[in-house]
Amino acid sequence: MLVSVLNGFSVGFLLFVLAVGLSIVFGMMDVLNLAHGALFLCGAYLGATFAGGWGGFLGALGLAAVFGLVGGGLLSLMTEPLRKRSHLDQALLTLGVALVAAEVLAIVFGDDPLSVAAPPGLNDSVQVFGVSYPTYRLVIIGVGAVLALAVYLVVERTRLGALVRATVADREMVSVLGVDNRLVKAAVFAIGSVLATTAGVLGGPIYGARPGLDATVLILALVVVVIGGLGSVRGALIGALIIGQVDIVGKYLLPDLSSFILFAALALVLVLRPQGLFGGPVGTAGAR
Amino acid sequence: MEHPSISRRRLLALFGAAASVPVLAACGSSVGGGGGGAPAGGGGGGAVKVGLVVPQSGVYAALGTDMQRGWELWLGQNGGKFGNYTVETVVADEGETPNTGQPAVQKVLQSDNVDVVVGLVNSATALGVANLLTESKKLLVVTNAGAGDVTGAKRTPYIWRTSFTNAQVSAAMGTHLAQSGFKDGVFALAPDYAAGTEVIAGFTKTFEAGGGKVVGTAKPAFGKTSDYQPFLTQIQQSGAKATFCFFSGSEAITFVRQYAQFGLASTIPLYGSGFLTEGNVLPQQGDAALGVQTTLHYSDQLDNPANKAFVESYTAKYGESPSCFSAQTYDAANVLNRALRTATALDGDSIAGALGGIGTVEDSPRGPWTFDGQTPKQNLYLRKVEKVNGTLVNAVVQDLGQQSQPL
Amino acid sequence: MTAIEAPTVPGGAPASAPRVTRARTGIIAVAVLVVLAAAPFMLAPFATTTLTRVLVFALFAVSLDLLVGVTGLPSLGHAAYLGAGAYAAGWVSINVTAEAPVPLLVGAGFGALAAALTGWVTVRSHGVFFLMLTLAIGETLQQLADTWETVTGGANGLTGIPAVRLAGTPLANAGFTYWYVLAVGVIGFALVVMVARSPFGAALRGIRDNEPRMRALGYSTARYKYAVIVMAGAVAGLAGALLVAQQRLVTPADMGFATASFALLAVIIGGAGSLWGACLGAALVIIIRDALGPSLDGHGTLVLGIVFVLVVYLLPRGAAGLRIYRRRR
Repeated sequence: MLVSVLNGFSVGFLLFVLAVGLSIVFGMMDVLNLAHGALFLCGAYLGATFAGGWGGFLGALGLAAVFGLVGGGLLSLMTEPLRKRSHLDQALLTLGVALVAAEVLAIVFGDDPLSVAAPPGLNDSVQVFGVSYPTYRLVIIGVGAVLALAVYLVVERTRLGALVRATVADREMVSVLGVDNRLVKAAVFAIGSVLATTAGVLGGPIYGARPGLDATVLILALVVVVIGGLGSVRGALIGALIIGQVDIVGKYLLPDLSSFILFAALALVLVLRPQGLFGGPVGTAGAR
Repeated sequence: MEHPSISRRRLLALFGAAASVPVLAACGSSVGGGGGGAPAGGGGGGAVKVGLVVPQSGVYAALGTDMQRGWELWLGQNGGKFGNYTVETVVADEGETPNTGQPAVQKVLQSDNVDVVVGLVNSATALGVANLLTESKKLLVVTNAGAGDVTGAKRTPYIWRTSFTNAQVSAAMGTHLAQSGFKDGVFALAPDYAAGTEVIAGFTKTFEAGGGKVVGTAKPAFGKTSDYQPFLTQIQQSGAKATFCFFSGSEAITFVRQYAQFGLASTIPLYGSGFLTEGNVLPQQGDAALGVQTTLHYSDQLDNPANKAFVESYTAKYGESPSCFSAQTYDAANVLNRALRTATALDGDSIAGALGGIGTVEDSPRGPWTFDGQTPKQNLYLRKVEKVNGTLVNAVVQDLGQQSQPL
Repeated sequence: MTAIEAPTVPGGAPASAPRVTRARTGIIAVAVLVVLAAAPFMLAPFATTTLTRVLVFALFAVSLDLLVGVTGLPSLGHAAYLGAGAYAAGWVSINVTAEAPVPLLVGAGFGALAAALTGWVTVRSHGVFFLMLTLAIGETLQQLADTWETVTGGANGLTGIPAVRLAGTPLANAGFTYWYVLAVGVIGFALVVMVARSPFGAALRGIRDNEPRMRALGYSTARYKYAVIVMAGAVAGLAGALLVAQQRLVTPADMGFATASFALLAVIIGGAGSLWGACLGAALVIIIRDALGPSLDGHGTLVLGIVFVLVVYLLPRGAAGLRIYRRRR
């Protein structure tokens, strides 16, 4: 039981890194980036390609950051011409991009599922609560917590963060103040995408890399964002931690119903609090 | 607001043109007749057209590659002939689900007018095309799909199988575990879908018949589970002496690796249906798979002359060892050859009749086997993952004897 | 027949169309129907079957367009209702009767029921929220189909479904099945067009264009949305019954994310809000997936994705918007 709780945290923090980018981009620009899962998978494949040593792992992280920046920038550019049109068109555009990206990844890396070894030293297990626990997952908790803190500080304490929050609250006002919100958008898109590809590299040793993983993690990330409420770092963190616990501890307690636990939790939250745990009223962001 | 103009008519024309794309293949009428093709010629030579429907895309693509290689290898070794017929193969992509598999079978039957269909990985596709074959009276040789119903409760005379049934493979393990000191506790788990249910049912039946006790079961969500820790903890707490499981593809990789990472591999031995460590998943599992024991009707390590020759020529041609998927399709060619030596015509009834009379296939890489009904009665082998010359292989530990499809 | 093919341009009032135009539209509609009806005489069975699949998917896309284009509710879970109708129609055909109107009515009824049971969760949301909630609903219902093996056959699917019977005679060949699907599809299409053109449809377009205003005008927008979700569910269920008539098999894959997103692609490619555009989009999607896909090493999805991205950029109103562009030039 305690191990499951611990493991719930490692899954939760990984989910946070995955979902927070989606949440910020979504909250700020109302762009639901359905290509977010493809970015994650891209990171996972990079991790699989360079797996083996610390050099490869860090190299994969670095490359993933570059891919994330480029990918995010591209997505921001691509959605720009659709700015005047409905936010739905932008979301649908990213759905098309996600289809193309998934196919390209399958062509480049093949259809076979790949496993990814954790870097040396983290690739074995330690004793926790009297049972073996993979070291790498403990590290993920730490890395996830640090990233969560970093993202929180950036959003809450820096000028960019202030702009982001202001843009979430009132985009028109920010642009009236003379800030080019295309740049803000590109920056946020890039950061969100870097977080997604980073999550892919970090998640590789746990999830592996395979076709179809993009859709699986996209749905997980959407669930986190819906539960946590959009546009909020705190919401994404708490949503991710809750989903981590529900998913892991729930499966431990109800093994025969494991297929339904995630969506049952989602349905419960939606019935009780349709705007998510930390979101504003549903209408505000969607209506713009 | 309405501006119908020339361009819409163009669009409608486009619609017409687009709709006619698939027509290019053939012209004719879809009305009248029951859908049968041209009557097949007699047994005196000519050509037999075979539709090889295997996955070329999606998660099963690697299986499709193995299957196609097994098929081509047999034909290459035997002059491309079944009996006196020259074999003409049309390959179609089964894809991942019946959404793609059913149209593919339909295409080879109706558009390419094949005489025999061979292939199919997905059980739902194999079950779903039954009426197509029955109505066109054509023969299908299933070379993987393991649902018992295909040749059991939902059988049609036109669908035969050279592979296995899910429960057949796991039943052998049930008997074996009950006899080898694990009577008082095995934990059984498999993904929450039809094949998983069949595997667990087959295992439980023979295991309990042998006096064994299943101390716990779990059904991880199929295709959506990437973290097995909650189930692994349950296994540890159940007091199980061994674990029996069924996973394939990426789930097999993840499960076996996590079983080792969470420290279970050294305390609770892992047993499984052979697909847990078969084919391309084994190298990805790496050393985590060492010591895992599975049952299957084939291993490339089998020590018999037919298999040695098969492995040697396969490896020489394709640069890697064959899997059970290659062997199953290789055998499909073999049995069709035997059937077409005696079949009086190429329709489903004639070939099915001939297949029923081929007797023992004594030169199969998997060892001698016979058709029992429309599915193999064959030896099941206990295999253990070992490292030979730096490569992980499924070494054969024990021959568990012949088994047929459990009822 | 005039009413059926007349395009419903967003915000347009078809009744005000000039007489000549309506006549021309009518002629085109009749011509298309005649060509479609004559198709089995000219096509080989496989082509006829592909065309049957196009028709089924077109009706499904049209039902989705009622949500996406007419009401502005983008759904990624609509395939769940197609699946509900297909399973119900299949089950009835196996266990009760396959006599013609029964599977259709049962399919439509269960599609509506599934939509009624799940739709209430979504009525207060819109835009991308609606997209996500429907995605979750679709995934859950698909999981249910996968798990509930005693009724659905689980991952092996519901198989052994008998051919539809008309007055006691089974429709055993591709041509007759095609006509059956065509006839029911045309009726379903006509029903959707009637809904879209009714005062109710006008209210739906009002909700799409400005929901707060409609609410201020005293419309209970949630109730309208609920009603249209149930209606779209019924038509999707009808399409499900046709799917069963054609493939005689239902599996969880029929109601998955892929089906739902392909239908959404079809609607957008055709031009959201244009019902005949949705049919066009559906034809393109099925032809790329089933007829071209196998010869592209299974990379049909890549082509679809590229086509889709191009359409979003170049044709803001989809294929249906083509002529508007021309006119402006």
